[in-house]
Amino acid sequence: MTKDVTTLFYRPVMVFMGAVSVVITVYVLWLTMQNISLLRPGAEKFVGFDNYIRLLLDMRGLSALGRTVMFTIAATAIELVLGLAIALLLDREFAGKRVVRALILVPIVMTPVVVGLTWRFMFDPSSGMANYLISLIGFGPVDWLGSPNVAIFSLLIADIWQWTPFVVLLTMASLESLPGDPQNAARVDGAREWQVLWFITMPMMQRALLIVGVIRAIDSIKAFDLFYIMTRGGPALSTETLNLYGYIAAFTNFDISYALTIAMVLTILTNVALLAVYRLAFRPQKSG
Amino acid sequence: MKRRNLIILTAVLAASTALPAFAQDAAKPYAGTRLAVLMEGHPTTDGIQALLPEFTAATGIEVELEVVPESDITAKMLLEFSSGSGRYDVVQNNIIFVPGFVKAGYIEPLDDLAAAAPQYLDKADFVPGYLNTNVLDGKLYGLPVYGESTFVMYRKDLFEQYGIAVPKSFADIEAAAKTIKEKSNGEITGITMRGAQGIHSVYVWAGYLWGFGGEFVDAAGKSALATPEAAASLDAFARVLKDYGPVGVANFGWEENRVLFQQGKAGITLDATVNGAFNEDPAVSSVVGKVGYIPVPVETTAPKGGSSSLAVHSLYVASASANKEAAWLFASWATAKEQQIKSLALAPNSGVTSQAALNSDEFNSRYGAFKDAMIASINQGNPQYLPTVPAANEIINNAGIAVSKVLAGTASATDALAEADAANAAALAR
Repeated sequence: MTKDVTTLFYRPVMVFMGAVSVVITVYVLWLTMQNISLLRPGAEKFVGFDNYIRLLLDMRGLSALGRTVMFTIAATAIELVLGLAIALLLDREFAGKRVVRALILVPIVMTPVVVGLTWRFMFDPSSGMANYLISLIGFGPVDWLGSPNVAIFSLLIADIWQWTPFVVLLTMASLESLPGDPQNAARVDGAREWQVLWFITMPMMQRALLIVGVIRAIDSIKAFDLFYIMTRGGPALSTETLNLYGYIAAFTNFDISYALTIAMVLTILTNVALLAVYRLAFRPQKSG
Repeated sequence: MKRRNLIILTAVLAASTALPAFAQDAAKPYAGTRLAVLMEGHPTTDGIQALLPEFTAATGIEVELEVVPESDITAKMLLEFSSGSGRYDVVQNNIIFVPGFVKAGYIEPLDDLAAAAPQYLDKADFVPGYLNTNVLDGKLYGLPVYGESTFVMYRKDLFEQYGIAVPKSFADIEAAAKTIKEKSNGEITGITMRGAQGIHSVYVWAGYLWGFGGEFVDAAGKSALATPEAAASLDAFARVLKDYGPVGVANFGWEENRVLFQQGKAGITLDATVNGAFNEDPAVSSVVGKVGYIPVPVETTAPKGGSSSLAVHSLYVASASANKEAAWLFASWATAKEQQIKSLALAPNSGVTSQAALNSDEFNSRYGAFKDAMIASINQGNPQYLPTVPAANEIINNAGIAVSKVLAGTASATDALAEADAANAAALAR
């Protein structure tokens, strides 16, 4: 047994934080096995896994889950690709680089409520800027938030606008910290620029990209503000994510146990997905 | 939260025992009491807030008024009610929640409190339709702060110009909307109504539902949305909006709908009576004096209930309150005619519930243009317009999804309503 005194500093904190998470999780698990509704005080009873079975058979819940997964994958993938591309373009010295970097921060700093309202005005079908712009290139008016086929993509645009800069910022920092020697060595050996990018830069960036991706994915799963402000899950449920459905179950239907069941399932799925990605990111690096 | 309240409560108690002079004033038996009141963001609340110093001067009761948007208020009070915290002494809400609150024992019957301290109460002065919605099993539970019904608003000038008769049915409304759209070459939208998923579209579509002979919940308490009448009403509602309604109607809430109409960009709308006040206000409206008002029509000869709404927002005394007598004094003072008449000048609104205020010169000069149609709508207003069962919110939410789906064209009225009906049946059985 090693007598490392530093463990005395961090172990109590770890134990405390772990205990708090376990207690909360067990408590929530217990609550999901009741049928608590704010409208029926005193009628709570133990119902076992009924709420989980209900969610499993709830078409509205299942399609909300599907929508959450699709939105997360699409938002994360597009933001990563776009963010990386922009970061690579900006990864050189040019006049006004600092100004550009400051501007990039603006969407991240804006509160999602303001972003949601701004985009709602831009997407207004009769007086919004979006329809004016596409009318310039000869396209008819689009009902951005009013058509169930389009609304989710409109939300995606707003989300990408707000969060791509975050990816840019982090990948730029990572690009700048990369050693330049391997790339120059490859260039000397006659590699083309895309080969340098693909075989040298990208592998070195892999970890940073995975971390950024994980952060964005977690945020997308939890996305709420933009949805709430821009569509509230409508029209025709076309933008209702599992998170939003949980909110409605809790604060419109007052069905607390069911809302917690939805939140619990979302948490479990997120954790499983997260662990898988984490494994991928932090597997021991092969030496070679 | 709870602990902080306890500390505040202890502090208040300590303060009140330290100042016996306050507590012993015979005319002010509750002097020094602090009431926590939760009310909706609304002109009537602004009026009451402005007049509060008068209440404190008269009774010595301090009122801590918390104002939140109507959409959040139910969840906020339920969280406190269900934990029995006694955080709020008086709360405001829509009557649709009252049966659920009464069943859960969250709110207090007021008859005994009224008998003990009747000084501010004048039952006969309230608009009967507003007060009666607060009576359950013969007991009075709340005092109405503001109320409204729904009616049809149409542009008299356009109807005259295009030779359209005043509509007597929903079919007439559809025909009129068609004429306006066609004869104005699409310059003016035929009709505008709220189409946003949720309470917005349901509040307006419910007029069609009842008018076509449908209902949300039948007399036996069973969900009743999967009927041909309901499907016909939803078809008619969605059709008229899709064919002659504004672009983007799927996201139209009360605000968007009201603004479009008062800008003169639509020929007809069906909405809350309070919209009349906006139409007739020269500061915000370009259609002052050009609007005609008629009660919501019916399509069948035997409706199960009126097609005009009756929405009443009242003050309730919480069962968990430690100061019920003082809470009652506040509720009866805030809704008394004197305050309602004064608030007409402070924060004008057409929803006043006192007949004296309704008949005041101030009201007539401001809202005379639609007063008669408003009172006619209130008198035939349907207290069951929105379902008043404990699961009301969930039923409205499910119905709203059906309305949104049909309006968006992703499902037929029959299918969408069958789905909503099944979800409502499950909610009612829970």
